[in-house]
Amino acid sequence: MAIAKRNEGAKVNSNINVTPMVDVMLVLLIIFMVITPMLQNGVSVDLAQVNNPERMPDAEKEDAMVVSVMRDGTVYFRSDKIPVDQLTQKVKDRLVSQQDKRVYVKADARARFGAVVAVVDNVRSAGVDDLGLLTDQKKVGLGAPRATTGGQ
Amino acid sequence: MSMAVGSGGGQNADMNVTPLIDVLLVLIIIFMVINPPQPKGLDALVPQPPPPNAPKNNTPDRTIVVQLIDRGAGQEPGVKINNEDTTWDGLGARLTDIFKTRAEKVMFVKGDDNVPFADVANVIDIAHASGVDKVGLITAKIEAGG
Repeated sequence: MAIAKRNEGAKVNSNINVTPMVDVMLVLLIIFMVITPMLQNGVSVDLAQVNNPERMPDAEKEDAMVVSVMRDGTVYFRSDKIPVDQLTQKVKDRLVSQQDKRVYVKADARARFGAVVAVVDNVRSAGVDDLGLLTDQKKVGLGAPRATTGGQ
Repeated sequence: MSMAVGSGGGQNADMNVTPLIDVLLVLIIIFMVINPPQPKGLDALVPQPPPPNAPKNNTPDRTIVVQLIDRGAGQEPGVKINNEDTTWDGLGARLTDIFKTRAEKVMFVKGDDNVPFADVANVIDIAHASGVDKVGLITAKIEAGG
């Protein structure tokens, strides 16, 4: 009995137990995978590309009024598809409680301007006078934004 | 001593998880780095009807309206500044010229229904680049005074 006392030294395992770490990593991975597509407001459209857009950080806010116009002219208010003529009421309802009175129009580059005009008309009837037309930064060559002359 | 003999053996029943962790770490880093790009856009205004008893605007002829004319599908739309034809390349210079001497840098954009939105966005972009502060959108309804 007394001799066997030091025996535990023979079975010491020098490996780190990584199982809890893998668990945490997997959970983090899943969280990031789920959250990444959800961060976008409205539906995803192919935005027009322009040379010098301004930053519009408010368009990303959770309660921003984003109206998306798809290529075929269908209109989405945030992520719900609605007929254009109901847009006025919808925007009016939200405008009461809204801090940011601006409406963001997220129109597909190839949408007919007529469809956008219909949205603008309806949004205007709700009393909005400030619009943000969401666009992308135009990329020239390999992702380098072009230096513009006389830009802001 | 003798009791511990049977449990010897160099076999390790644990799975080698190191490559798995490597892959997971890289994936996590990838997902953390590709945070969605900041939204960007162009500022535009929509003229609201003036209040009924507002004083009449007495400088109507100084308004600049850029018009996009549809030339049929697949064709680049034509541009007009106050009914005067211009080219896409010359638009920026022309606008800079017009607004150089003006205090209120306000412009309006009007477009045919069949013009792609990208071209309208382009005009607004060029206008902003030429120093126009406020770009208003004119629709048929606004023009009719509704």
